[in-house]
Amino acid sequence: MATPPVFTAGAVLTAAQMNGIGLWLVKSQTIGSAVSAVTVTDAFSADYDNYFVTVNGGVASTTNYGDMTLGSTATGYYMSQNYMTYNSNTVGGISRQNQTRWIAITVGTTNVLNGQCWIHDPFNAKNTIVNAWYAQTLTTGENSLVRGYLADTTSYTAFTLTASTGTWTGGEIRVYGMRN
Amino acid sequence: MAYKVQIDDIVRDATPQEAAAIEAQRQATASAAAEAEAKAAARESALAKLAALGLTDAEIAALLGV
Repeated sequence: MATPPVFTAGAVLTAAQMNGIGLWLVKSQTIGSAVSAVTVTDAFSADYDNYFVTVNGGVASTTNYGDMTLGSTATGYYMSQNYMTYNSNTVGGISRQNQTRWIAITVGTTNVLNGQCWIHDPFNAKNTIVNAWYAQTLTTGENSLVRGYLADTTSYTAFTLTASTGTWTGGEIRVYGMRN
Repeated sequence: MAYKVQIDDIVRDATPQEAAAIEAQRQATASAAAEAEAKAAARESALAKLAALGLTDAEIAALLGV
């Protein structure tokens, strides 16, 4: 058979081939209408150490950002953010210690929502690390990189994205687990 | 203010506690944004002052290491 990921109709996949697949879709959550916060449960488990979360489609009622929390924890979030706008060569940035959430994991405009992040060890009894980035769909908009961690060793199964202002309607949050 | 929250496929009105948490997050994020904007404005002001001293754009860029 052809070398994966090119498959042919009727091909029988071996365990080795299936075990070579990296990303598995854990959950896909459609965002509702005019919501200010979306919680995705059963996203993290013992099956994976590392997760890739994407937010695409939909619209925001106004330009806004998606802040992330894990479980019900509202303390201990550390992060640095670097950002640039499309109309400037200047790099901006902020750093934050012991916050109530990670800021600006996603971005929303009246055109689309966008954002993706790697979340490392949310279920394991370790600090959880986030690496996130987005691109804003405005001519003078910004693109951003956020890196940070949550300073606890709590095991999490759920996360929440909260709009910094306004609401979101539509779009999809997808959670993928990276095979260990 | 009334908020709608979503938990998986369920969309409902936020409880008072959830609404308060959203408000707190939003205020904190607004403060962070204001701080970033103030920082950017201070930078622009500093650049303008350097230019007023006669530095060229290339000299300012070299000074800033960009």
